[in-house]
Amino acid sequence: MLDKPNAVPANTATTASWSGVIRFLHITPRAFLPMRAMSELTLVPGKGITGDRYMIGSEEGFYSHKPEEGRQVTLFELETLIALKRDANIELGPHEHRRNVTTEGVPLNHLVGKRFWLGETLLEATRLSIPCRHIEEITGKAIFDPLINRSGLNCKIIEGGVVKVGDVVRNAA
Amino acid sequence: MSKRPITTVRTVVEAIDEGGDGIKVFTLVDPDHWELPPFKPGAHIDLHLPNGLVRTYSLCNDPIEATHYTHYVVAVKREAEGRGGSIALCDTTGVGDTIGVSLPRGGLALDPPAGRYVFVAGGIGVTPFLSVASYLRRTGHGDFRLHIVARNRLPLEHLLAPLIDEGRIVVHRTAKDGRPDIASLLPATQTRTLIGCCGPETMLADFERASKAWPAESVHIERFVPPPLPLDPNAKPYTLVLARSGRELPVLPGQTMLSALEQSGIELASSCCGGICGACKVRWLEGKPVHRDRVLSPYERERNLMACVAGSDSERLVLDL
Repeated sequence: MLDKPNAVPANTATTASWSGVIRFLHITPRAFLPMRAMSELTLVPGKGITGDRYMIGSEEGFYSHKPEEGRQVTLFELETLIALKRDANIELGPHEHRRNVTTEGVPLNHLVGKRFWLGETLLEATRLSIPCRHIEEITGKAIFDPLINRSGLNCKIIEGGVVKVGDVVRNAA
Repeated sequence: MSKRPITTVRTVVEAIDEGGDGIKVFTLVDPDHWELPPFKPGAHIDLHLPNGLVRTYSLCNDPIEATHYTHYVVAVKREAEGRGGSIALCDTTGVGDTIGVSLPRGGLALDPPAGRYVFVAGGIGVTPFLSVASYLRRTGHGDFRLHIVARNRLPLEHLLAPLIDEGRIVVHRTAKDGRPDIASLLPATQTRTLIGCCGPETMLADFERASKAWPAESVHIERFVPPPLPLDPNAKPYTLVLARSGRELPVLPGQTMLSALEQSGIELASSCCGGICGACKVRWLEGKPVHRDRVLSPYERERNLMACVAGSDSERLVLDL
């Protein structure tokens, strides 16, 4: 039974041990426009990020014709940018992946269905982000395939507030 | 919230200036002066006009301004005998009007720089070289020459003035001297030299002939090119048959099945448009689909396809829609 994922109960001390940091914050008000680096963002619970294209109620994003409650804020791992350079020689900047928050030290793919603290705000991860052809059109870089399974995380905002570059990201368990 | 996908960059006309000789110069900005998508020197954009027409124009300004000063500049010559695009812009478009534009396409690869640049422009075809000239002057690659072939008046003279003052422009007035021999305008030596041309089709053809012996990477002929097709350029057209409604839809070579369905008003869930997310799965009933997705198993493919990437090997493909 050792080869079954649920054969050994997770050690909660281990799963809660990670801690990361916000390295970059970006928003853009409309589809296609470049992402702009910000030093802080205001997260509104149940809605989105002030000034961003996927703020519920004032959506102007590329996917806004497909409403999604769990897309209020999106995250991306800095480690993926490093891996793209290391493994595929692709230079992709934190303003190019088009997610809002670039984290370091946060296992985003492990967090689907879980809650965690992003600075003073509480998020709930709804699903993994998926790459789309749209991002290749905007960046002019062949990054669709290299981003499969590591394209970030979509989240709902449970408790809002202001998040800043350098804020700690930690498990809420 | 928009019910239809956003397909263009929304811009607002901030200024319209006279360019002389029936030309108007439009400055387009984001409604909030946000940065616009970047572009290469000499790139062009499509303008989606309120009357439904789509017209392509070169960007005249320095690419750095797209990110630093958030604007696109296009020069439009009113063509009274044209198909209506330039007339709509010059006669009925005003400051404050909204115009959707495409992402910029094309342009010259100027990095790493060549040692010398020689460009030939016919009339309003000077526009892409205004952007290129600004870039080359700013980056200190000053060795360039621009030949302008014009009937009489020089187009966009006020924008060309700094280049004229610096002696970088050679004007060939056809009303006085006739059409110049394009080959005679090109330098004798090809080493570390980039040559380019933009103008009417006859001039481009002359330029192509004159530059035949040049290495392809040293020659830039500015033609407005459509966005690259995502699929095999050898793809054949086929007909989609929708079994439930009996409708038949043509799918053009290079067009995706998904876009053919969407253009016909068929709403289908979709997301990644690359065959991995599974959102646009459709059941097929007859025909020979070509599967290009990475989510369906061989068993699933016997009855399903992903509309964003699938094609057809048969002339007719019947879908359960």
